[in-house]
Amino acid sequence: MPKHSVLIVGAGISGMRAALAAHDRGSDVALISKVHPLRTHGGTSQGGINAAVRDGDDVDLHGAETVKGADYLADQDAVELLTGAAPRAVIALDHWGVPFNRDPTGRFDTRSLCGATRPRACFVDDMTGHAILQVLWEQVLKAAIPVYDEWVVTKPLLDDGACVGVVAIEVASGKVEAFTADAVVLATGGCARVYEPTGAAYGVTGDGVALAYQTGAALMDMEMVQFHPLGIRGSGMILTDALLGLGGHLVNKGGERFALKYAPTLGERAPRDIVARAAEEEIVGGPAEFMALDLRHLDGEELKRRFPFTSNIIKTQAGVDPAKDTVPVRPVAHRTMGGIQVDSDGATGVARLYASGGCADTRVHGANGLGGNWLLEALVFGERAGLAAARQEALSAKGIYTQLEDERRRIAAIVDGPGGPERAGPIRSELGRVMRRCVGPLRDASSLQEAATKIRELSARYGKACITNKGKRYNYELGAFLELESLLSVGEVIVAAARFREESRGAHVRRDHPVRDDARWLVHTVASLRPDGPAMTSKPVVVTKWKPEGRQY
Amino acid sequence: MQATFKVSRYDPEAGGKPSLQPYTLELPEDATVLDGLFKIREELDGSLAFRASCNRGFCGECTLRISRGGRLACMTRVATARTKDGEVTVEPIRYVRVLKDLVYDVDRSLWQKIKAVEPWLQPAGAPPDREHVLDDEQLRPVRNAMKCYHCGLCDEGCSVIPFDNTFLGPAALTKAYRFLADPRDGAHAHRLRGLGEPRGMWDCVHCYEADEHCPRGIDPTHRILDLREMAIGMGIKSGATNPQVARHYESFAASVKKSGWLDEGRLALETWGVGRIFGLLPVAWRALQRGKLPIPYRHPKRAGAERIGRIFEKVERRKP
Repeated sequence: MPKHSVLIVGAGISGMRAALAAHDRGSDVALISKVHPLRTHGGTSQGGINAAVRDGDDVDLHGAETVKGADYLADQDAVELLTGAAPRAVIALDHWGVPFNRDPTGRFDTRSLCGATRPRACFVDDMTGHAILQVLWEQVLKAAIPVYDEWVVTKPLLDDGACVGVVAIEVASGKVEAFTADAVVLATGGCARVYEPTGAAYGVTGDGVALAYQTGAALMDMEMVQFHPLGIRGSGMILTDALLGLGGHLVNKGGERFALKYAPTLGERAPRDIVARAAEEEIVGGPAEFMALDLRHLDGEELKRRFPFTSNIIKTQAGVDPAKDTVPVRPVAHRTMGGIQVDSDGATGVARLYASGGCADTRVHGANGLGGNWLLEALVFGERAGLAAARQEALSAKGIYTQLEDERRRIAAIVDGPGGPERAGPIRSELGRVMRRCVGPLRDASSLQEAATKIRELSARYGKACITNKGKRYNYELGAFLELESLLSVGEVIVAAARFREESRGAHVRRDHPVRDDARWLVHTVASLRPDGPAMTSKPVVVTKWKPEGRQY
Repeated sequence: MQATFKVSRYDPEAGGKPSLQPYTLELPEDATVLDGLFKIREELDGSLAFRASCNRGFCGECTLRISRGGRLACMTRVATARTKDGEVTVEPIRYVRVLKDLVYDVDRSLWQKIKAVEPWLQPAGAPPDREHVLDDEQLRPVRNAMKCYHCGLCDEGCSVIPFDNTFLGPAALTKAYRFLADPRDGAHAHRLRGLGEPRGMWDCVHCYEADEHCPRGIDPTHRILDLREMAIGMGIKSGATNPQVARHYESFAASVKKSGWLDEGRLALETWGVGRIFGLLPVAWRALQRGKLPIPYRHPKRAGAERIGRIFEKVERRKP
């Protein structure tokens, strides 16, 4: 039974950053992840990482634009922490070896991402996340931090209400094992796979979100799901919106550049929620299933040189040459602003359980996260959570074996259980489609009602579903079966939160409540698990220096 | 569209040999091979094991041999992946240890080799207060090498690995190059001495297969040649910590310098030393049987040997 002081669940960007912070503090820390660190989802983040490092920019302006981008639902104390820590965070990456592009003076080059009035995103070609992920992994190797990869965490270990480890299944052997720790950090990523199609990796199934929720932690602002306007035809792979920053146009079926109707100044360079909402209106309103991304007026050679990954995706996925043809795109589920409710140190409310990155609501994205702030958030709050977890004093947990045996029995019952009427795959697919249709960028009471009813039906079917693979080794069907439980749980909360918030703000657009209502709804929605489903309450937004005002772009 | 997948199935713990299992499935026109594999697992056969993650051609997790070519399953459309018979064959890449079906031991084939090159920045001194001030041109080769998504296809294409799986291989050497190209790294000489060891950069036979197989256009063979250039430029001889290798290269060079061509008898003697040369007797016996060991052994000077010797003298004068 492996024992460590700090156990980080999830070996992506935030998890590895947390591990390095705990290690620096002298803590015996380990990472446990269902995929190898280099295969985690943050590696697909292309555009860049925001930091006010250029002349003419400052952390206050970065903060103000983050708060406005969030449609004022961000907690401003957390935003100040984020933007204030940003320059140091990217400089630390440079010192570790991230090869950020340089400007002619040899300093960080920066690019414009949507929702920013200054070029603020430090970048590595169009593979910023990919480069950061590699360098964090390098540092994890250097620090000799143990990584248990291809282990699926299924349950927390609890002692007197505190989280003292996890139970996990080794994919290679099917072995169910307990990992004990003085503190656990969840860094398992978001839950965009609850939608279909999505640009998120297969593993982004809200495992940590559901685990914390089932353990008693609250989930916050779960209705805030970011749709990315540039999901390409076919699988829904996402193209970087740096393409829009560079001057790409979005065109509807009538040949009209529609974004200017919704954001007269910035047009396509407005934040993602506004562009995605505009696209959804234009697509739903007309017969075309896709809109066109027009890059033909841009320098084709420059496009290929600066966006090599992206050019390759366009070619292989849509089968078009962006120099000659437009690229068919549509909004797809991308990231979740909401997540496990945490304070600035990642504390969840469950003793000894912390969270950071995609699975946590670190309060900085509010109703819409800006491009370039996601990588930053993963790093800054990953570091803080890692440090806080490392401060927990050692304890000798009781009752571990009983919990391990219980979980072994539960897993064995799933694998060895009798053949039921159906399997998990089709249920997950139906869930994803109903979420996209009814809880997409545009929602209303009746679509949400439909989604709630459907999810109840799917949950009932899931309760009777089975797996056909009875093998122990590399049983991916079992992994997908357990993931679906998380997805159903998360989907239920997203719908409940979306029904609760009777206004339109950021990524949450209620057709039946089309206006932002600060008098009533300048609050976070908070969901807690009750026997009959999620109980919704609210929590005031922290306002420090940026008073809510109209949001025009 | 209807598609027939033939998928490699194998469970080493159950014994037997890998075999291709056919599945017929209905897929959308623009489906990828990975879509097909998921459909098989979710609807037809829950026991099929394969890995996948980002579904965007970024992470390298779904690297497979598809219709006889190494590719990412998520970036390969079924319509373009069919063989002449209209089928899509899906197998693990070659020269790896298969763990189950399409899952293979990446730790052994890739991660362990990458870990062997000390893959982290080793700065020369304390970092500056802000970012390093650097010409972007200096970082371009670093970024080029870091485009690598660790698919392992360069190693699969490598001509050496099928014969000697302990060779570091182009993927790990490209990772090493990433640090040697980086002006922020202060351990270049240390790294090059390590890479000069047996199984390192000098074991590459520069067949350029890695460049052909790399889907990211990194040209790993050229990166290995760059490493060698750096080592030569810094006067770092191979075998810095292995006297036998050092003797091998010195003898090799000395015989070519003297006679214009390689004196294999002298090479063996000088590399292994008188005391251990008897260990080579079985090799000599086999060579003799096949008429490859001339008796009596003679090693005459080649025509133009003096000119070759002068090339050596010229190069040796230039060395630092």
